[in-house]
Amino acid sequence: MLPFTVGLYNTEILILLLINLIMAQSYRLVTTAGDWSSSHVVLMGAGAYTAALLAKLLGWPFLITVPLAGVVAALCGLLIILPLLRTLGFGFFIATFALAEAIRLIWVKFHYPFGGARGMIGIPGVEIGPWDLSEMIPNYFLILTITVLLLWIMYRIDRSRIGKILKAIQLDAQLTESIGINVPYYRALAFATANFFAGIAGALLAYHQGAIDPKSFAAVPMLYLIIYVVVGGVRTYWGAIICVIVMTWILEMTRQLGPWRPFIAGAIVIFVLVVMPGGLEILITPIARGLRKVPGLGWLGAEPRRRDPVQNER
Amino acid sequence: MSLATFLQSLANALVLGSIYAIVSVGLALSWGVMRMANVAHGEFYMLGAYVVYVLYAQAGWPFPVAVASAFPLIAILGVLTERMIFRQTRGNVLAGYIATAGLAFMLQVVASQIWGVGLPKPIPVPYMGAAHLGGVAIGWQRLLVVPVAAGMMLLLRYFLFHVRVGKALRACAQDPEVAALQGISINRITMLAMLIAGGFAGVAGALMAPLQPVTPYLGQTIIITAFIVVIVGGIESIGGAVLAAFMLGIIHTFVTTLVDGVTATMAGVVLMAVVLVIKPEGLMGRVRA
Amino acid sequence: MLKVSGLSKYFGGVAAIDNLDLEVEKGDIRGIIGPNGAGKTTLFNVVCGVYRPSQGNVFLHGEPISKLSSSEVARRGLVRTFQRNAVFHDFTVLDNVIVGRHLRAKRSLLGEIFNPRAGAREDRQCALEILEWVGLSAQQDELAANLAHGFQRVLGVAVALATEPEILMLDEPVAGMNDTETANMCEVIGNIHAHGVTILLVEHDMKTVAGLCRNITVLDFGKKIAEGAPQEVLNNHAVIEAYLGTEDIVA
Repeated sequence: MLPFTVGLYNTEILILLLINLIMAQSYRLVTTAGDWSSSHVVLMGAGAYTAALLAKLLGWPFLITVPLAGVVAALCGLLIILPLLRTLGFGFFIATFALAEAIRLIWVKFHYPFGGARGMIGIPGVEIGPWDLSEMIPNYFLILTITVLLLWIMYRIDRSRIGKILKAIQLDAQLTESIGINVPYYRALAFATANFFAGIAGALLAYHQGAIDPKSFAAVPMLYLIIYVVVGGVRTYWGAIICVIVMTWILEMTRQLGPWRPFIAGAIVIFVLVVMPGGLEILITPIARGLRKVPGLGWLGAEPRRRDPVQNER
Repeated sequence: MSLATFLQSLANALVLGSIYAIVSVGLALSWGVMRMANVAHGEFYMLGAYVVYVLYAQAGWPFPVAVASAFPLIAILGVLTERMIFRQTRGNVLAGYIATAGLAFMLQVVASQIWGVGLPKPIPVPYMGAAHLGGVAIGWQRLLVVPVAAGMMLLLRYFLFHVRVGKALRACAQDPEVAALQGISINRITMLAMLIAGGFAGVAGALMAPLQPVTPYLGQTIIITAFIVVIVGGIESIGGAVLAAFMLGIIHTFVTTLVDGVTATMAGVVLMAVVLVIKPEGLMGRVRA
Repeated sequence: MLKVSGLSKYFGGVAAIDNLDLEVEKGDIRGIIGPNGAGKTTLFNVVCGVYRPSQGNVFLHGEPISKLSSSEVARRGLVRTFQRNAVFHDFTVLDNVIVGRHLRAKRSLLGEIFNPRAGAREDRQCALEILEWVGLSAQQDELAANLAHGFQRVLGVAVALATEPEILMLDEPVAGMNDTETANMCEVIGNIHAHGVTILLVEHDMKTVAGLCRNITVLDFGKKIAEGAPQEVLNNHAVIEAYLGTEDIVA
């Protein structure tokens, strides 16, 4: 519906927004368990490079490369988290950054097959069966469908027993262990699952752009991802989503500020964390409470909460 | 590897380890005291390098003066960071370090807007020529890092063990609550820790300015190294940081000589991962209750 | 059922537990008492897998468990509560207990994601029963953080109970409670025991221990100094000496 009214340029923006939604929500899955990693965008890159290589060098079809991209990203994620099961908090943040950077450097270093610092180009378009979905508008609908599907799955996970377990781990890992829940296992599971989704997002990006390079998966995109979840709030499912939408809009409006945007992003992060650590949730919760009173929309509302996971010391 | 190459690499490792030590020691101290660490620490290093660019390369001040000026200038930045960010987020470790990640980006953008992001700034080498010892050649510019580092470590050690405020700092790193009960002001101590952290990082950057390309993104690689050093050495352990700094210096130098720089970075990361698996509190760290 | 043999735990050079032998029969309510620093909580931590013993072993149903993690020990039927108020502060009382049910829930995680209703009802039902049992039904939708101290501790026990343990280890269950709360907790503990759960508890409050426990083990400096029925133990000379000046132990 949308693309026909807003034009190609904005459709491009929408596509990137959708991919960011997958990234933000999957990152939130990681942080629900209390693990603030900084490897998430690199794992997206792992998915992107996997899909790119399989499609370009081996000619494998979209429907196979994309799930495989997710699997590869999940496995790389396991490689990262398994040494870190006894590491928490800040050490986890830095160690995931370092390990992810090691992976990213592999892409930078090896010209074959990753294309080195300049990355890969010439990634084939999307073909599913008889349909060519590489043009902007069909591409948009394809990505929209996949995004909605993945967001729904993540919603179900959040609402499920495993979602509760992850939140319990974040609240009190020692208590959770004492009632027979294998905390390291669930941390690793959440991490791998989230990375699976990130890998798919990366694959979608690779197909959409036809080209990828290591810089897209470096520190700045990771910062933005952190902002989406920190400002959006970890507690509510919708916080990160709303934040992505609002920030994409803001970033578009301020496009002429160019290089100053990471500065503004950094300032926003500091402001939010110092002034309102719960993020947008401060605004969302009253709205959600109101929604819960409307019959039929109750499922949109978040449960009443009082303290913020970001505030718990680890 | 021939003996000559080995000795040369060893000499280079000594220099590299010294720089790593200066950069990381302040981080270990502030992390130990505040239980939070400063992701913008790399940017402190970067700005120290720019201090030398401005004062020495552009304004013509003598090199030693420029380097020495980096200490107070960046130390002030450290104190400001503590006031504006760490103090506000005390007790919320996560918020503290994410906020400093934001600060890191802000500083990078400021530096790139002021000094440009294109070619790295040329800084003339103040001490040309090299020392020749036993077939090994080290430029004087490189070599001077070692005694400066040694001097700074000794000064720090003296401060921490024989000056009242320094001892208070150590007490705070071990147990902030007890320290507070003894009348030690946590605010003053954290400011002091960040002052030292900033000053040391700035001097490290200043010392290295003539030896490497100075860009606004200098912080990004050094921060990984600094954190690896502190994680491997143990978070509140100065001795551990020095030990780990030299370990990492040796690994980086020798792997670069044998393979290349990128692999050297990866080797450092692997070392960190190994330590995290085997002894998560670091080589010389204590297990926190 | 639970046996500790030759157990020692050193921290640095200090023996928190020193060559301890202990055996708890099925169906017992065992009190562990001793002056501060006697090693009671350390004993709990070693038995439950939080610490590894420096020497000796812990056996559950004859199987050694000292190398297991605390979640594995819990899965074998030995669950502990904490000295601190360990509840999930941001969950409701009901949700707290539902999390505790995870161990006994019989559904696959994947199925759970796509069809949550089936199992959720079962969990909820069970949790409600437990809350009924411990007397917290009225507060089921209250945030755990908002409960009074006494109720939070009862909730902690309820969460542990949700795992259907064979042995329940309670670390100072009535700490910081007034008389009413204490009486309430004792009743809850008595009920739990009546349902066949073996109980091991650490406590400072002598009245509680004497009233509740069938057998008492006394520790001092990590060693066992007395063991037996409350009346004999509390009148034991060595025990009185260990406590001299710190407490009046007339039961």
